Parts: sequence; C-alpha cells; structure tokens
Amino acid sequence: MAQNPRNLETFDAVVVGSGAGGGTAVQVLIAKGMRVALLEAGPMLDVKTEFKEHKWPYNYDHRGAEEGGAAYFGKGKSFGFFSTTSGGWQLEGEPYTVGEGSQFQWFRSRILGGRTNHYGRMSFRFAEYDFKPYDKDGLGFNWPISYQDIAPYYDKAEEFIGVCGTQENVASCPDGKFHSAPPPKVHEMLVKKSCDKLGIICIANRRAVITKPLNGRAPCHYCGQCGRGCLTASAYSSSQVQVFPAMKTGRLKVLDLAMAREVIMDANGKAKGILYIDKRTRTEKTIYAKAVILAASACESTRILLNSKTKEFPNGLGNGSGLLGRYLMDTVGFGLSGYVPALEGMPRYDTDGYGGAHLFMPWWLWDKHNKLDFPRGYHIEIGGGYGMPGIGSYHGAARRLGYGAEMKKKIREGYGASIGFAGRGEMIPNIHSYCELDPTVVDKWGIPVLRFHFKWTDYEWKQARHMEKTFADIITTMGGRVSGLSAAQREADGISIPGTIIHEVGGARMGTSNKNSVLNGYCQAHDVKNLFVMDGASFVSNPDKNPTLTINALAWRACDYMADEMRKGNV
Amino acid sequence: MSNSIPAFVPVEAIDRRSMIRRLALAITSIGVLDLDAAQHVHTETAAEKAKGPYKVKAFQPAEFKTLQRLAEIIVPKDDVSGSGLDAGAPEFIDVLSSQNEALADIFHGGLAWLDAEMRKRYQTTFGNATPEQQTAILDVLVKAGNVEAARRTEELVYEKSATYKDFSGYTVHRPQDLGPGIVFFDWVRKMTVDAFYTSAIGMKDLGYKGNGAYSKYVVPNDAMEYAMKRSPFA
Repeated sequence: MAQNPRNLETFDAVVVGSGAGGGTAVQVLIAKGMRVALLEAGPMLDVKTEFKEHKWPYNYDHRGAEEGGAAYFGKGKSFGFFSTTSGGWQLEGEPYTVGEGSQFQWFRSRILGGRTNHYGRMSFRFAEYDFKPYDKDGLGFNWPISYQDIAPYYDKAEEFIGVCGTQENVASCPDGKFHSAPPPKVHEMLVKKSCDKLGIICIANRRAVITKPLNGRAPCHYCGQCGRGCLTASAYSSSQVQVFPAMKTGRLKVLDLAMAREVIMDANGKAKGILYIDKRTRTEKTIYAKAVILAASACESTRILLNSKTKEFPNGLGNGSGLLGRYLMDTVGFGLSGYVPALEGMPRYDTDGYGGAHLFMPWWLWDKHNKLDFPRGYHIEIGGGYGMPGIGSYHGAARRLGYGAEMKKKIREGYGASIGFAGRGEMIPNIHSYCELDPTVVDKWGIPVLRFHFKWTDYEWKQARHMEKTFADIITTMGGRVSGLSAAQREADGISIPGTIIHEVGGARMGTSNKNSVLNGYCQAHDVKNLFVMDGASFVSNPDKNPTLTINALAWRACDYMADEMRKGNV
Repeated sequence: MSNSIPAFVPVEAIDRRSMIRRLALAITSIGVLDLDAAQHVHTETAAEKAKGPYKVKAFQPAEFKTLQRLAEIIVPKDDVSGSGLDAGAPEFIDVLSSQNEALADIFHGGLAWLDAEMRKRYQTTFGNATPEQQTAILDVLVKAGNVEAARRTEELVYEKSATYKDFSGYTVHRPQDLGPGIVFFDWVRKMTVDAFYTSAIGMKDLGYKGNGAYSKYVVPNDAMEYAMKRSPFA
C-alpha cells in the first residue's frame, strides 16, 4: 500500500459499480462539480465491438450459434450471441454458492454500464401504496420514505434518461414525464380488446427509450434491438447516457477491471476509501475519497459490506442490526404462450418497434384484494410479432412437425401468430431468503463469495396460479389456444427460479433506525455517515415494478442529500 | 479502448428524412440497415464465396453428400423459396464441426449409424438409397422420436410435480434400437432448420421485414384490419 499521504489523490467520492445506481451517482455528483472515481469490475465498454445492433445472423458463419456451435451445448452467451450481456449466470473464477434446499441464480454483468447496456428498460414508478405495504396488508415492512419524497426524483430521472409512455391516471402505476409512445402493434390490439372484455387495464408501455432528441441523443429508430446495446443511445444505458458524458469533464476517473473487496475505515469510524483488486495485475490497491458509494448491485454491495469487517462491526460494516444480507427478494415470474389463428396469414409488417411490447397491463386489482387468495400484485408483459429468426427459433416447431414441405409450410403460416405473456409480481420478503458469506469459498481474487438461500412461499405460488389463469383467459378471449405445456407441466414449472427475473433487491435495506435496517431513507449507512449504498440493496419491498427507475431516482436523491451534508460538514 | 472517449452516434449526424442512409454512414462497421441493402450485401458475399468451390473441412466427401441430401429433404425447395441446401446448411454444420470435436463426433457417429441402419434395412447407404427409402427411414426416426419425447415429458412432470410424487408404475415402449438415430436426426434437423431460417433465403421465406431504421413507427391498416376481421372482436 502506498504510504505517503501527500502523494495520494483523494476524490470527493468513490463509486463502486457503473450500472443504474453508479451511473446516476456519477452523473449527479459530476454535475455538482465534484471529483469522482468510478470502479468497474469489468472492462471499459467499446460500443463498436460490443454492440451488435443491426447485424444479421448470416453476417457470421456460425449464424449466432457461436464458435464451435457453443450455443447448442448450453455454453453460448446467456441471452444469445447478439445480446450485449457481457456476463452471465456464472462467471469464470467468480463463483457463488447456494445453500442446501435452495435455488438461486445470480446474473452479473462485468462491463462499464453493467446490466443497463442490455436490460428490458421497463420503467415504472412505484405506487404510493408500494411504500407502505405493511400498512395495507400487515405483511412485510414499510419504507422509511413516501411516494412524495421520491416523486420529484422520478421526474428528474425520467427527464434525464428519457422514458416513453402515456398519461393514464392508474393508481398502481403513477404517471411520469414521458416522451410520446409508439402505437400498438396488431397482436397487442387484440390483447387490449381481450383485456377490455375481461376488465384488465391495458395501456402504453413505459420504457427508457426516447422518441425525440435528448441531450444530443437521437430518437429511437425502431429496430427493436435494445438488448444488443443501442449505438445511437436512444435506449438508456448508464454507460452512454451518464458515464461517457461525465468522462468528458475530466473530473471523473474510471478504473476498469477493478474488483472492490472492502470498504477501508479510518480510526474515527468513517469510511476513507475502497480496497480493490486490480484484475490486470492481480494486485491489491486502494483508492481514497471523502465519501464512499457502493452501487455494485444489491448482492455485490452486500457482499462488500459483509467482507468489510471491523472491530466495531465484526459481522460486516453497518450490520449492527444483523440484517445485512437479509430479506433478499426477486420478482415472481410466470409465463404462458398461445397461438392466435386470427393472426395467421396476416400481411407481413415490421413489428420490431421500440423494442419490447408497446402495451402492457399494470396491476388492475389493487383495491380488490379481499377477493383474492394472495397479497400484492403483478403486471403483465406481452410478447409476439414477427421477430428476427435466430438459432433455436424453430427447434420446437421442427420437433412437433417432423420435416419436409409440410413442416416448412406450417412454420411459415404460424410465423407471427404466437403470443406470449409474462407476469412480473411482488413477493413478500421472508426470513428464508438471504445471502451470507460462504465460510469456505473465495473467488479467484481471494474474496469470500456469497452463499444464497431462497424460498418462495404460498403467497408467491398462489399469485403465479392467478397469472396462469389470467393469461389463459386473455388468450382464449381473443380466439387463441394455450400452447406448449400441459396443465400438469405448468403446475410443475409454475414459478420462476429465484433470481432468474434479475430483479434481485434488498440485502442492505433502508429503515427508520439502525435497529431495523442498514441504511436510512437517503441510502446512507446509519452507522457510517459517509457511506452510501445506491443500488437495489436498499429496497425494503420489491413491488411489481421493475427496479431500475427507482434505483435511478433513489441514487439521485441520495446524491443531493450527500452533497448538502458535505457542504454542512456532516459527511 | 482507444484514448478517445467512446460515445454514441449523436442526433446531429442523423437527418430524419434519410435516416437509413445517414445512420449507415454514421455507424461505421454496421453498414447494413434495411432488408434490400442487406440482401444485396448477402448476395455479394455469396457471389464471392461462389468464386471457388466450398472446401469441406470436417467431413469425408460421402458424409458431406449425405448432409447435403438431408438438408434438401428436411427443408425442401418449394414455390416460395429454396432449400436447406441452398441456404448453406451443410456448410454451416461443417464449419462448426471443424471448430468443435464434440460436435464433429456427433455427426461422424450419426452419419455412420445412419448408413449402417440403411444397410440393414435396404442393403445400401443413405446416399445411394432411393428417395423413398431415404424418407422412409426419416419417418421411422420421427415417429420413434415423438414417442421418446412424450415419455421424457411425462417423466419430467412426474419428477417435478408434487402431485405425482407417489407415481411409480407406468411403462412406455422405448425404441432402444433407434436411440442413436433419434439423437442424430434431432441434431441434423435442428441445425438445418437454424441454417435455413437464419439465411437471407429463410428470412424472405417467412417475410421478416424488420432490422430497419425509421423516423416514425407505423402499423399498416391492412394488417390491423385483417386480424380484427378474423378475431372474435370483429
């Protein structure tokens, strides 16, 4: 370790992680004139080599199956060759473990911008009631903040990153500052008609995609390939929209391939920097700052805190409550697809659109819980249209249809006539779902790894059954038939594997005191005033709204607070 | 990463009236943005490749001939489009097999099994058999494959579902003799189908119209009316 303090560069803040939380922290703090260091465990992003927007499968000899047909052996990229995930469910040399009797899968990206380079970009505000769920049904916990506290920051986040949508006045999904939304596609109009009949609300989707110019970014050109990374940055990614512009100020130092190990503390109980592994040289290094911001993802930030043991906090930094790692949550997922004869033989058109569905169904039964056998709600996402054929698109059809002229004709006729629904629901945080340090395993950087434990309860299973019935109703109401799985199979496969919706949040939740939480309502550690956690770790509940927009808003609010406190000399 | 800070293609670079062309210019290394242009490029590539005969890397001539014949049978030419052979399925299998020994083994072994089975049934190899004999063996494999798949699905459900935990007494005839053939046919079929539908020929066969760039997204009326008329909401 370097020993001459006069030669040490000290930053106003060091941010660990460059995804939605870290990107927002960098953007906001740089705009305030601060000098910031940003640590990213993966490499710098080069969009020209990493993003495969507009490429065709036949531009590659392997057509997307990857070298040696890796995709056929389950060894291809997690979401296909063309997606820009730069990570996966397993990272070589960086394992995690899962406790006996549990299932959990952890998706990590290792690149500047993290998962925001490829994520679905669904951008829903939490509802007012989402912040006080315990008051509503006596389950889970209330947040220490209210919708009114965060609303101005939803405004700021939406205006900065750019979100499409329409004003609808639906209590479960508050309106925001939206760019205009593109029109619904044909299969989505059928879904809407079906929903109208069934009393289900179906409105324009809300995604972090712009439809008019914003800060030099071009509006969406409707190729629908957001998951490949957007070369025009019309779809939000923290790398292109927040970090790259911040780099141009000269006040942001980006350290890539820097794997944070622990928070360094001084003798007065304040954080003074980060101890990290430089992956290029496999050496331990330090970086110092007046404030430390963890935004490495809910579980990775939790891991850093658990690994930051001090005399005062032998069980992990800021863990006086013993709740560090506890009440880990994911989203409840269930999917069902159907075949819609009305769409057979339709005149072909381009259904790529702005990527993802142009309509969605927010939770519509928020005041009808007395008639349901489960608490909380879910929203519904729609799949369908004439997607670009890829490796694996017709394996199922071919197995069903055999081979030859008849198979070819049937595949052509059925193209675009399938429709899919995905439910995304809220779980109740429970004591069986948590992460802790594995006592025996370290990664290849020598850092103790996480061990996950997770359980769905009846609350989640019953919600998934409600999804199943609802989706089947929507499909049959539009004249379609439920396809694929038998009822028995659906029962057996009836809920997503924990972690696989990639909405894992919690672990360092916020609350009213250091007895019931790790952080306060400003994402600030109760016990370490200059330490903040600005990612999904702070979540107290995991409403049926995808978490990213709320991470953006909470991080922005936390940065405003942190800057004020620094000015006052409190941080 | 280069010294310059990477960014995105800024709005100034894009004239909304000629978005496709400008985007193509602005985004070097993409170049291909609409279907026509893409097909043009693809035709060029194909023409370039056609200059010399394709050099087979992983297969003996007789093996490759069988793959070619299979590609024609699995996705045949019809009045809409060409075949799996036209779409480069044998070359696709060859390239990947040449990069992956495990994949090459699957095909080498599978092709040998197929010829052995044909000798037993018809005293000839697959390549030298009549078209009727060729489809007859594939029909046998498809049928056996369906039985096998149904059995597997049931097993999976029984294994996963709490409802069936006590279930223990069912038997399904297992076409053991055909097992290797079922596995091989699944491989050659899925890779041929993949090669076909990921080719420009296959994209056109389906009528995929995307991967474009537009300043406005429009859903055509004729499509909307077509589906609505045929739906219960007419």
